[in-house]
Amino acid sequence: MDDTPSSKELFLFLASTAHDMKNSISVLSGTLESLLADASPRTESAYPQMAHMLYQTKRLNDNLIQLLALYKQVGKPEYPFDIQPLEVGHLVEQVVSADRILLDSRGIALEADYDPQLVWHFDEDLIIGVVGHAINNAIHYTRDKIRIAIAKVDGCLEIRVEDNGSGYPAAMLEAGVSAMSGVSSGVNFLTNSTGLGLYFSSEVAKMHKHRQRSGSLRLENGGQYGGGCFVLTLP
Amino acid sequence: MIGRSVLDATMATTISNVDWAEKNYLVVDDFVGIRQLLRESLRNLGAKNIDQRIRGGEAMGLLSRIRYDVVLCDYNLGEGKNGQQVLEEARLRNLLLPSSVWMMVSAEKSVESVMGAAEHQPDAYLIKPITEGVLLTRLNRVWHKKQVFKMIDQAYAEKDYLRAAKLCDAQIEVSKVHEIELLRMKAALMLKSGEPEKAREAYERVMQEREYQWAKAGLAKIRMANGEFEQARQIFQGVIADNRYYIDAYDQLALTYQNMGQTEEACSILERAAQLSPNSVMRQRSLGQICLKLGNVGMAEKAFRKCIAIGEYSIMKTPDAYLGLARVCGLKNETKEALQLLVLAQREFSTDQIQLRAKITEGMVYHESGDFRRARKAGDELEELLSLSPERPDTTTCLDMATLLFAVGVKESPVELLCYVIKNNHDNALLLDDVQKIFDKARMSDEGSALIRSSRKEASDMMNQGVLLWKTGKLPEAVDWMRHARAALPNNLRILFNAAQILISHMQTHGFDEALSAETTEVLLHVDKIQPGQQRFAQLMEQLALLAPSTAAPADGEAQQAA
Repeated sequence: MDDTPSSKELFLFLASTAHDMKNSISVLSGTLESLLADASPRTESAYPQMAHMLYQTKRLNDNLIQLLALYKQVGKPEYPFDIQPLEVGHLVEQVVSADRILLDSRGIALEADYDPQLVWHFDEDLIIGVVGHAINNAIHYTRDKIRIAIAKVDGCLEIRVEDNGSGYPAAMLEAGVSAMSGVSSGVNFLTNSTGLGLYFSSEVAKMHKHRQRSGSLRLENGGQYGGGCFVLTLP
Repeated sequence: MIGRSVLDATMATTISNVDWAEKNYLVVDDFVGIRQLLRESLRNLGAKNIDQRIRGGEAMGLLSRIRYDVVLCDYNLGEGKNGQQVLEEARLRNLLLPSSVWMMVSAEKSVESVMGAAEHQPDAYLIKPITEGVLLTRLNRVWHKKQVFKMIDQAYAEKDYLRAAKLCDAQIEVSKVHEIELLRMKAALMLKSGEPEKAREAYERVMQEREYQWAKAGLAKIRMANGEFEQARQIFQGVIADNRYYIDAYDQLALTYQNMGQTEEACSILERAAQLSPNSVMRQRSLGQICLKLGNVGMAEKAFRKCIAIGEYSIMKTPDAYLGLARVCGLKNETKEALQLLVLAQREFSTDQIQLRAKITEGMVYHESGDFRRARKAGDELEELLSLSPERPDTTTCLDMATLLFAVGVKESPVELLCYVIKNNHDNALLLDDVQKIFDKARMSDEGSALIRSSRKEASDMMNQGVLLWKTGKLPEAVDWMRHARAALPNNLRILFNAAQILISHMQTHGFDEALSAETTEVLLHVDKIQPGQQRFAQLMEQLALLAPSTAAPADGEAQQAA
């Protein structure tokens, strides 16, 4: 960014607007969650609509976080990247609790398979963002089950989010590949709803580097449920 | 240390059962919806006692009356103090318990969270939107970490750095997730103990695990301390290339350039750092001072004005900015504004040396603007101030003062000041060179070197007499003699260390004594204040702690209670 006074003013304006929007979305999703927590499909006729509102709010929130992070130049040295040693159990705890009410409200079962004491080095807020996005995405495509599995594979940390839906279409699998390679594919990021999330996730993955290895992201079909799989690998 | 692993095993099962319901909470945010949301999340954890405030100043009011267990504070609070300034003030005024948890909330990932340098870091940063799970996980994590660090922090607070380092080693064995942080702490402790080699080992152990920027920067700091400036410079630049926001590396790089005599490079690095992170009182002060040294009056003025502006709500505000700006005004021939600033500085700050320092600056302002009559008058007034008390300010101020006094034509008191500096630093060759240069400039080369010789001899005779008494076993006489030596030369490092050594020796032979122990602590803390990071300081602190019959046992008991 250049340092002309008008761009500085614009930047301050954007920053404070973003701050405001985040506050509003927090309040919105917090309110919906507390309404849903106190209700059930039998007591509340608008329950499915409320559940859908929560899903959309979470999507809005995801997108806002991703846009802001990209605006702050996730993936570039300019981003305040912050790696720490963390227990995998804490990561799962935070991701799962953020989606607990949404999952319940849509009748989706979540299975988690991980060693809570496993320690890995990563930027916690960014990875929570990526995995949370993967789960929200899976909520949309799954039939009724989602599995999050984390393990050390080939010297890297592998985080898998799997669902039992009908799997990714071929074009999406390709979009996953091109998000990693940085080459534009037949699927247009700008018009594809999953594009932003994939792009953000691959940038976050690539920022994680350790001894000549970088993190990566891939989409595949199969896994334990035979549906779509979102696989994040961190060195 | 066998008991420790057992202790830790029980701790692991209890951490998730921290009783968050009974704690006192303070929520500070200027957005009502967020305050409600956070309060609701806290209530879901069972919390009953939750106070809320909108502005930083209001939060300070509460913090000064109530000891909170948990503070959730937004970074951006509109008018007045921001979250970081509230935290700094609360810490410096001791308004927080060691067990208090401070969580800084912000809308986006902040530069401050990774820049590494800020002395007063919160226990955690939370980025909005905050979910209940994130809040609870991180509260538990901070609480657990505080348990792991509890005894280390206590030893640190008592300045028994070597004991603290040993406790780090013990914890590393049992606490895998905190290994990196424990090594970081250990390295810092070894640096404070004047053991750079051991600090290097700790940083290298971190680097084997993962290339953390702070560990890399730590290795470069050790290089700098060893005088390997070029290697240090390369590493710091590498750190900046990897992470443009790692501000601590800029400050250290500027220091490296200064050590290499490249003041202009140092200045331009500080300027870049101040652009990236402009709200640091300390950095703006350094920038102003280095610009002044280079004669870049315009930039010095900008830095000092910014320093005063951001200092308005900060406990870090410093008289240096006012005095520096007064010098700037003098150089711009705005003598009147310079004098107003000096009056303002004396009104805003009540430290005992502000009057003296303001008078020195006044003399410089007149001298630099060519008003030699008024400069001389300021010199005479300074001399009078000096005669009021036998106490002398720090070495830099003494040298400034002597330089000015010579320049305006005063002879006796600058000679006395310089002799005082020599006697208190009789084996510091670099400083003696500086003093000789001041004598040279005053056309007193021969007289000056004779004075330096005799002052050095006076100091070393005084020290040797004490050592002689000690070596011949006359411990009570040696203790008395060193008291006398300390009164005469209150800031002489070798005399202070020997005084402490002899006191400890006395207690080792004749038994522990409450009053002697307190006296030793006082001497050692004074040394650490005037010259931190000395190996002998750490060693003597450890020896002293071992003499006290009761320190180790109650500390253990307390930890067990907490677990």
